[in-house]
Amino acid sequence: MQVLLIEDDIALAEALMQSLKYEGFAVNHLTQGKQAITSIKTELPDIVILDLGLPDIDGTEVLKLIRQESADLPVLVLTARITLEDKVNGLDLGADDYLAKPFEVAELMARLRVFERRASSSKHSGLSIGNVRIDSASHQVSVTGENIDLSRREFMLLKALMENAGRVQTRYSLESKLYSWGEEVASNTIEVHIHHLRKKLPDNFIQTIRGIGYIVQSA
Amino acid sequence: MKSIRTYLLLALIAIITLVTFLSLLQGYQASIAKAQQLFDDRLQSMAAMISNANQDLHPHNAGTEKLSSTVFFQILADDFSLLARSNNATTPLLSVDNDPVISGFKDINFSGYRWRVYILKDDILNRWIITGERSDIRYILAENVVTESIIPIVLAIPIAAFIIWIAIGVGLKPLRELTGQLRNKQADDLSPVLMNNTPEELTTLVATTNALLQRLNDAFVREQQFAADAAHELRTPISILKVQLHNLQNNEHISEAALLPLASGIERMGLVIEQILSLYRHSPEQALVKQSDIDLSAIVQSIIAKDYDQIATKQQKISLSGGEKCLVAGNQFALETLVQNLISNASKYTPNQGEIQVTSKHITSGIRLIIEDSGPGIPKEAYERVFERFYRVDGDRHDSGILGCGLGLAIVKHIVNLHRAKITLNHSTQLGGLKVVIDFPKNSMR
Repeated sequence: MQVLLIEDDIALAEALMQSLKYEGFAVNHLTQGKQAITSIKTELPDIVILDLGLPDIDGTEVLKLIRQESADLPVLVLTARITLEDKVNGLDLGADDYLAKPFEVAELMARLRVFERRASSSKHSGLSIGNVRIDSASHQVSVTGENIDLSRREFMLLKALMENAGRVQTRYSLESKLYSWGEEVASNTIEVHIHHLRKKLPDNFIQTIRGIGYIVQSA
Repeated sequence: MKSIRTYLLLALIAIITLVTFLSLLQGYQASIAKAQQLFDDRLQSMAAMISNANQDLHPHNAGTEKLSSTVFFQILADDFSLLARSNNATTPLLSVDNDPVISGFKDINFSGYRWRVYILKDDILNRWIITGERSDIRYILAENVVTESIIPIVLAIPIAAFIIWIAIGVGLKPLRELTGQLRNKQADDLSPVLMNNTPEELTTLVATTNALLQRLNDAFVREQQFAADAAHELRTPISILKVQLHNLQNNEHISEAALLPLASGIERMGLVIEQILSLYRHSPEQALVKQSDIDLSAIVQSIIAKDYDQIATKQQKISLSGGEKCLVAGNQFALETLVQNLISNASKYTPNQGEIQVTSKHITSGIRLIIEDSGPGIPKEAYERVFERFYRVDGDRHDSGILGCGLGLAIVKHIVNLHRAKITLNHSTQLGGLKVVIDFPKNSMR
């Protein structure tokens, strides 16, 4: 995985590069927004980590330019601005995720792994957790090598949970992934799908957090 | 002095009463003297009239005249025998035993009353004419006349009091207005006092008050700005420390134990900075501007999902009951901070494998949020104090080295106040730990 780190604070960038390399990422580091745009134009990285407070141009500008270049390049925004407006604004401009300073490295890595899994499930069409394997190209799911039949909604639900393994998905966020706006969703729809999914998956693969949502633990 | 208005009223009424009383006394005496003078003149002219009308009287045909019982007359011959009289004066009032009789006014006692009499010597006919009037009746008459003129003045005093009361009220209106404005000010409202037509006496007071409020406001803004800027600037350095610490933890040559104090120090520093920032971020002006209808249940869900790592690490069981849509008019970011602080506290102080239960539901007065845990709880005596800034139960001897700086509940309280909600701490009968109940009114904030 090729990560492009755009961060003007040298000390933080160096520390982060060390952590990322340790986790097996290949990292390139740039301190300025304009350089970053040029670099992305020449060679597309797999993931971008972008600090919003840059010396030359504003991070949100960089984000806009990145989106013009590539619609689905995953961008994780790293910033000291953490008001809700900043967050909404950042996500509206096309950031895939948002992490406020000071952050836990473990949290950063978990989020990068979500990107990674998402990329792998769409590009290389494969993502395995435990003995469950999901193939987004062929829409196949297998448990210990045996294919199981899932409806389209069940498949999307499982995909969302597995791509975000280790992080709780609220009922609301799952609904918004499965249904488009304005589509009528009964209050227990997600429960029903989860119920059917569970019958076909290993015990305790999907855990319930009562009242909150569901989680698939990362292996 | 309890009230300027009452004081002024009492003082003015006292002065008016005193002055009126003195002038009335003076007037009364003058009026009575004048009335006596008039009555005497009447007595005198009556005597003259009787004398003229009865020129041909002789002692042998002494006659009587019917008169009212309060006046009388007698005509006496030179030897003091009766020539004529009114029916109520039977015996001659003058006799030879008397001191030498002279013309003029005299006060005498006669038939059980005191009388004022006038004795007239008719030198031509050589006889005496006496006219008399009962003194007490004279006084009653005189008094009646005087009293008639006094009563209106006495009655006027309460009316004057009423008018003065109103006039003082009008005069003190600017002062009342000023007091009202100051009283209605929210504790954190430092906007200047505005008055139209400030009277001379209050201009200095208003100007000084406003200058004071302005200085206080500036100081507050500076303090907030400073804290926010300082905390903000520390975010990147803390990130560096955290990342470097993580890198060190990956290094096999350094023992985990050696890094533990470093880790907890950095963690704590980060926490204090975040708490200070969120304390100052929720200023009332900001919160009021950015309010909307927010689903409290959705906030609880997203916060638990976000912080699930912390809960999962401690293998705690967490659940949300109720969970129906609970709309609260408020500030999204403030409410997130509120829920986050309470859930993070619950998880922090609840031992491994403990339980945390969150409930959001509708009650008649609005929305109720309950967060209970199976932790050690808080002793009853500390319920009030835990909301103070930097207060921690048991102070620095806080057990088990749980991270915290004592700002969490102060922030919670602050946000609760902003939303006009009510927070109560209790013992959780269900789980055995702390039970936090927050009641949001139906129209919080508006």
